[in-house]
Amino acid sequence: MKRRYAIVFISIFLTVGLSECLAQLSPGKLTLAHAKLEGLSNCTACHELGKTVESSKCLDCHKEIKAMVELKKGYHTSAEVKGKECFACHSDHHGRNFQIVRFDTVKFNHQLAGYELKGKHAKISCSACHKNEFITTKKSQKSVGKTYLGLDTKCLSCHADYHQKTLSADCTSCHGPDSFKPTTEFKHQKTKFPLIGKHADVTCIKCHPKEKKEGKDFQKFSGITFNNCTDCHKDVHDNKFGNDCWKCHSENSFHQPAGMNTFDHSKTDFLLKGKHQALDCKKCHKGKYTTPIKSSRCTDCHSDYHKGQFSKKEATSDCKDCHNENGFLGSSFTFERHNNSGFILEGAHAATPCIACHKKEKDWQFSDLDKRCVACHENIHKNHIKEKFIPEGKCESCHTVINWNKVTFDHQTTTFQLQGKHAGRTCRDCHFKKENDNLIVQKFAELKGNCEECHTDVHQQQFNANGTTDCTKCHKFENWKAEKFDHNQTRFKLDGGHQNVECKKCHLVNKSNFGPFIQYKNTKMQCKNCHI
Amino acid sequence: MKGSNTHRIYLGILSLIVIFTTGYLAYVGYSYYSLSLEDRFYHPDYQALKSSGVLGHGFGIIGSLLILIGVAMYMLRKRIRKFSRIGVLKHWLEFHIFLCILGPVLVLYHTAFKFGGLVAVSFWSMVAVVLSGVIGRYIYLQIPRTIEGQEMNLNEINQIKDELNQKLIVLYNLDDSVLDAITQAMKKRPTRLENNILKRSIAKYSFERQTVREIKSILKQQNISGKNFKHVIGLIKDEISLNRKIDRLITMQNLFKYWHVAHLPFAILMLIIMIIHVVVTVTFGARWIF
Repeated sequence: MKRRYAIVFISIFLTVGLSECLAQLSPGKLTLAHAKLEGLSNCTACHELGKTVESSKCLDCHKEIKAMVELKKGYHTSAEVKGKECFACHSDHHGRNFQIVRFDTVKFNHQLAGYELKGKHAKISCSACHKNEFITTKKSQKSVGKTYLGLDTKCLSCHADYHQKTLSADCTSCHGPDSFKPTTEFKHQKTKFPLIGKHADVTCIKCHPKEKKEGKDFQKFSGITFNNCTDCHKDVHDNKFGNDCWKCHSENSFHQPAGMNTFDHSKTDFLLKGKHQALDCKKCHKGKYTTPIKSSRCTDCHSDYHKGQFSKKEATSDCKDCHNENGFLGSSFTFERHNNSGFILEGAHAATPCIACHKKEKDWQFSDLDKRCVACHENIHKNHIKEKFIPEGKCESCHTVINWNKVTFDHQTTTFQLQGKHAGRTCRDCHFKKENDNLIVQKFAELKGNCEECHTDVHQQQFNANGTTDCTKCHKFENWKAEKFDHNQTRFKLDGGHQNVECKKCHLVNKSNFGPFIQYKNTKMQCKNCHI
Repeated sequence: MKGSNTHRIYLGILSLIVIFTTGYLAYVGYSYYSLSLEDRFYHPDYQALKSSGVLGHGFGIIGSLLILIGVAMYMLRKRIRKFSRIGVLKHWLEFHIFLCILGPVLVLYHTAFKFGGLVAVSFWSMVAVVLSGVIGRYIYLQIPRTIEGQEMNLNEINQIKDELNQKLIVLYNLDDSVLDAITQAMKKRPTRLENNILKRSIAKYSFERQTVREIKSILKQQNISGKNFKHVIGLIKDEISLNRKIDRLITMQNLFKYWHVAHLPFAILMLIIMIIHVVVTVTFGARWIF
C-alpha cells in the first residue's frame, strides 16, 4: 500500500516537475544584456564543461575589450584587473535586472583606465565625455550609456580645436587641467620670444589679437612675426633711427631707455655738441622722448640770463650769437660786431675786459649802456673844467681812448694862449698844483690868466699895478729875461756910463719880511746915492 | 515515559546545536541574505556566502551529508533486522531528527534563500520532508509507545492509567473519596458544541484547566501541599494527557499510516534531484575547496 503511494508521488514529480525543471538547470536568469543566451542549449556559449567560465569565451563576443587588452590599453589591463577572470567582476545568473557592470562612478580611479582625471575633468559627469559624439569606435557607440569604451585620450577628441590646427595637438603642453585660461602649463620663456620686462606684464591679446577665422573666433598665437619691434610697436620715429629699437630702448620701458648710450642724437634735428653731450636726457626731454621739443632757439630750453636784453634788439638773435655749446662763459662776440654795435672798441677799450663795462653791478648789462665816458670813467675834474670842454660827458676834447695822460686839448681854444715855455709844460704843471699841505688841487676854469696864478712874484709886488703884476711888460714867455724891459722908459734913463753898469751895481739886494729881493723900484736916483 | 536527566541534557544540547547554528548563520549572513538577488554579487561576503562559495558550498555539502547520514542511519536501523538490536529505536529517531533538521538548515543557507531552477524542487522536497517529519513527530507522540517504541493498544494504555491511580493512593495516601472525586473530575468530557477545530481545541484546553483547578481545590481540602501537591498535580496532568491520547488514538493511528506515504517519497525525490544538481554543478566547474 505504502509503496503504491510512493510510486504515484514519484511519478507525478518526475512527469510534471522534472520535465518542467530540466529546462531550469540554470541557477538564475541572465542579465538583460545576455538574455539572448538564455536556454539550456546556450550554456556552452559561456561555460566550458568541467571548468568554470573561461574569459576567452567572454572575449570572443566582447571583441572591443579583447582588442583593448591586446593593445594593453584601458582599465582591463590595469593592475586592478590584470590576472582576473572576467566573471570575478562580471558575474551573471543574478536576474534580468542584475547590473553586470556596476562601478562607482564617484570613487572610480580613472587613472586605471589610462587617463587620470585632473582639475575640471574630475568634476564633470562621466557622460560629459563618454557620449556618442566623442566616441570614435563604432562598436562602442552602439552601447553608449552602457560602456565607457571608445574614447581617445587626445584632448581634441572631445574639445574643439580653438586654434584651428595652428598649434600643436598636444593641448596639455599649454593648458592645465583646471581651465583653459590661464594657460598654466605654457611657458612663454621657452618660446622663441621670451617675455622680458614690460612684455611680461602685457596681456596676451595685445600681441595675440582675436580675429575671425573660418567664421569662428580665433586668437592668433603662431605665425606672429617678432624679428623687429616694429612688428608690434608703432615706430614713432618714422624709421629715422632704423629698426634697432633695442639700441636705445629696453623691454622695461620705452620712456626709460636703457641703451641711450648708443643713441645717435645726430640723427635727430638737434646735434648734441659741447656740454649738451654730457647732459642727462631728461634735462631736455621732460616727458616722453617721443614728444617733440622745441630746439630751434636756445631759449627753448635755457632761461634768458640776459633777461631779453638782446631779443629786443633783433628778432633773430639768439644765445648762439655770442655763446656756443661749450659753455656760457666766454663769448664769441667779436670786435667787429662790437664796433658795429655803436661803440667802437679802440685804444685801451680794446684791451679792457667786457666785465669792466658790462658787469659793473651784479648783473651783466649790454643794452642801453651809457656810452658817455663818464658812464664808465670817473670824471676826476669834477666841476673844475667847464662843461663846454666835456660836452655830454665826453672827454674827447682833451683825452683819447689810447691813454689818459696823452692830452690832445687845443689850448688855443681857451683865453690863455700857450706861448714860449708854456707850450712845453705839461698840463699838470699849471692845472695841478700842490697846496701847502701837499694836497694837489686842480684848477682849470678857476685858473686865472695872470702870471701870479702860477708864478711867484720874486719882485715882491714892486711892479704891482692896480692890484696885479703883469710880468709880460718886462718878460717874454721864452725865459725870465726882462727882454721887453726898456730902462729908458723908466724915470731913470740909462745913458753914458750907466749903460755899461751892471744892474746889481745900482739895484741892490734888499730884505723884507718875505725875504731878500732886488730892489728895482723906489730906488734913489740921486748920484750920491750910488756914487760916493 | 520521560527519559533520564542525562538524556534530557543530550537532547537539549542537540537542540541548542540546531538553534545556535541557525541563529549564528542568520546573524553572520543577514546583511548578505537580506539583499535582493541583483545586489548580492556586489556584497563583500558574496564570494564566501554564495551557493558556490567556500562557506555556501560547504553548507550544501555538509548539510547534504548530514541528511544522507541521518536518513541512511535511521533506515538501516529500522529496516534491517541485523541492526534492530543496536540501541533504542527512539534514540535513533531523535538523532535522525537532529541530523535531518541541522542538515536542511545548512542546505537552506547553501541556497542563500534563492529558490529557483531544478534544484528548487529538491529544496522544496526537503522542506516537505522536514515539515512532514515535524507533523509525523507530533502524530508519533500522540500514540503511546513502549520504551522500545512499539505502539500500545488501548488495553495497555488503560493499564498505565490504572497504575497512575494506584500511585496516587499508595504514594500520597489519598482517601478513596478523594480519589473518586478526582476520578469523576477526570472522567468528565467537554460538550462537543462547535464544529470548528480551533474553537473546539480552545474549549477543550480551558476544560482541562478547569479540571486541574477542581482537583487542586480537592487536594487543598485534603491538606496536601508542598512537594506532594506538585507531584500529584504532575500525575494528574499526565493522566489528562493520556486521556487526550486515548481519545485520539484511532485518528492518530490512521494519520500515521498516511504520513509514511508522504515522508519517504519526498525524501527520495529530494535525493534524486540533489544528485542531478551535484552532477550539473560539477559539470559547470564547481569544485568547492578541491
